[in-house]
Amino acid sequence: MRKFLNDPNNFVKEMIEGVHLANPGKFKLVPEFNLLYRSDRPDNSKVSIVQGSGSGHEPAHIMAVGPGMLDAASPGAVFAAPPVDTCLACIEHLKSDAGVLVLINNYQGDRMSWDMAIEMAQAQGIKVEKFIISDDVAVPNSTYSIGRRGVAGNFFVIKACGAAAERGASLDDLLKLAGKVNDNVRSMGVALSSCTPPLKGAPLFDIAEDEMEFGIGIHGEPGRRRDKTKAADAIVDEMFDAIAGDLPFNKGDRVAVMINGLGGTPISELYLLYRRAAQRCEQAGLTIVRNYVGEYCTSLEMAGASLTLLRLDKELEDLLAAPAEIPIRVF
Amino acid sequence: MSEITFDAVERGIRTTAATVLRNEQHFCDLDALAGDGDFGNSLAAGFRVIEAELPTLDKSNIGAFLLKLSMIISKHVGGSSGPLWGTAFMRAGMLCKDKTSITLEDMEKIVTAAIEGIQARGGAQPGDKTLIDVLIPVRDAIGEHARGDGDTKAALRDATAAAEDAAERAKSWVAKRGRQQFTGDRSSGTPDPGMVAVATILGDLCTEFGVSRSTVNA
Repeated sequence: MRKFLNDPNNFVKEMIEGVHLANPGKFKLVPEFNLLYRSDRPDNSKVSIVQGSGSGHEPAHIMAVGPGMLDAASPGAVFAAPPVDTCLACIEHLKSDAGVLVLINNYQGDRMSWDMAIEMAQAQGIKVEKFIISDDVAVPNSTYSIGRRGVAGNFFVIKACGAAAERGASLDDLLKLAGKVNDNVRSMGVALSSCTPPLKGAPLFDIAEDEMEFGIGIHGEPGRRRDKTKAADAIVDEMFDAIAGDLPFNKGDRVAVMINGLGGTPISELYLLYRRAAQRCEQAGLTIVRNYVGEYCTSLEMAGASLTLLRLDKELEDLLAAPAEIPIRVF
Repeated sequence: MSEITFDAVERGIRTTAATVLRNEQHFCDLDALAGDGDFGNSLAAGFRVIEAELPTLDKSNIGAFLLKLSMIISKHVGGSSGPLWGTAFMRAGMLCKDKTSITLEDMEKIVTAAIEGIQARGGAQPGDKTLIDVLIPVRDAIGEHARGDGDTKAALRDATAAAEDAAERAKSWVAKRGRQQFTGDRSSGTPDPGMVAVATILGDLCTEFGVSRSTVNA
């Protein structure tokens, strides 16, 4: 296992401590719940936006906390849903008169933990609602999800809701906004290698040097098919066709395009993929208003990438352009 | 006896933990027949913590006690069993807020709330071969005594018989939820480990509370 580790059991804890130390004064840390939140939150005039999924997808979500993005993140262990007490502590710390919005990627474990915590918090009189993100077109159901999985498209839900919350949007407004983003965002990923969770110490699955998993999930779960690798442009073409045909995206649409690295693919290759994605958008008559090339939602050190398209309207364009600041400054 | 006191609830939980820990391997073996074989370990991980923390838990009332147990179960029981069993205890705890004793009628409502909670959390329907298929006949057996003689011991006896019967009958069913669903028809002919666990726990509660099983209707 080629990893920088002390005790593998402390991997998540020490990563979060690093984020906390690297941003002096900006965050509060509650170590027993892996909870990191903005020092200036909660604010009773603003809805608190929180997310907690398994770790191993960084920068999602512990490094997506900051003004204009999440107010807090409380991740679980690597690829494991946060336990209920963690979710409840997150909601309790971030409770606000304006409410708490919990963003959840569509995985059964995450949903069950947050659902329980939300029920307990509501019983205490805390105003809290959830939104489930499901942008992955690869498979209708998966090992860990009923319905589509939530993957890199979650960034756009966070970004839009984060910006709107800064402007004082209500909890109801934010739920509607999250729904609009989720309805208009589509993703698909491809893996060229597996990844190795620190505690497991071995790759999650076997894949040959010349193979790819098309439609990979961000926990290494199977996608549409295992196939021989092919030229990068042909891989982008297949992802683009699957995504563009799904919404569908139509000529004249204004879009945001994301090429997201899964953790083990260099930025050079990501731009090579973006080149083809931009060509395909142009051919399809889609206007790229904003682009995002880098790592947004990873799977540890997995070699691979995903393509995400978001159809924009004036409101979304405006919210994506709003300022935001998080520990990894990717935009 | 018609009231169930806090002491009886605590004794029941201690017995439940002992049952789960003693049957850890047995429940894994049952799960391995059609699932992923970790059910016994998952459940035991939570009840091991309960056993250890039982002396120091909040015992001011049944509600607070059950809510604390729900937290431990949700956090420490692995896989989907954690939130499902945890939700059952949470809904039960919410119904017992501030109570220091409960009646059989309360118990019927508690099991109903647990069933509804599990359904809300996991989406199971009756007949899917899950925990709720054992809890529904248990609830009905309790309900008959709640509206009849009010005899808690007789209710426990009949609830246990109903659970054992349900677990046995469900063997021939095909699982439609949880990990077993991935094995499809292969799950037919095998018991559902969660249903067996409930029946086993109830059987041990009968022993603990001196409930004679001999009068059980054949």
